[in-house]
Amino acid sequence: MKKRLIVTNSEAESREEIFQTLGSLLIREGYCRDTYIQALKDREREYPTGLDMGEIGVAIPHTDASHVLKSAMAIAVLKKPVSFEVMGGDEGEIVNVSLVVAMAIRDTEAHLNQVQALLKILQDNSILRELISAESPEEVIHIIKGKEEKT
Amino acid sequence: MKKKVIVACGGAVATSTVAANKVVDLCKENGIDIEIIQCRISEIRSHLDGVSLIVPTSRLKQDLGVPVISGMPFISGVGEEELKQKILDVLKG
Repeated sequence: MKKRLIVTNSEAESREEIFQTLGSLLIREGYCRDTYIQALKDREREYPTGLDMGEIGVAIPHTDASHVLKSAMAIAVLKKPVSFEVMGGDEGEIVNVSLVVAMAIRDTEAHLNQVQALLKILQDNSILRELISAESPEEVIHIIKGKEEKT
Repeated sequence: MKKKVIVACGGAVATSTVAANKVVDLCKENGIDIEIIQCRISEIRSHLDGVSLIVPTSRLKQDLGVPVISGMPFISGVGEEELKQKILDVLKG
């Protein structure tokens, strides 16, 4: 979890804007190729990644390893929820998302552990509530670390 | 006899890997012998031979003549126990 890959108080108002923000961070920090942002957008259209975690919506956009140089996750905490289509849902089924985790996946094995750890965190509504009101990247890391230590 | 289960998502790297792991664990706990095929949604058709169940974590529109149970609760954690029961019902039946 890298401070430089976390954005809090994001004013993004659309999925595209969020992909742009998080994708740019991953590219700038050397985790992804320039093609990553467009690949995220294309992939989201075909296989949406919005998740209704009970009371809070999150999204986990990701795409093929060919656009990724090193595995990483970039996080955006949104000021106002943005609608995403629901993963595995019917066409047009949406969820209002307050937290977006863009996953850059290089190899499946390492990635599986990361994704499982991430999902465990996201499935805990009390942690999720804390995360979406986090005011700084440091706070996001602190909340996630706290959760990891408990499990 | 081994039952074949397809677990599929958009890219066969992210969510289907999580779901496939959960299905394997579930079947192990319940003494069900299975073979998991993990693939992309677009590849399902070429793996259908002898398949007992499909667990997609993406939208699956076509009717493939095989039981389909959405694996999304494995990802969101919402309704996971019910999902496990449904999978067991199909594989034990």
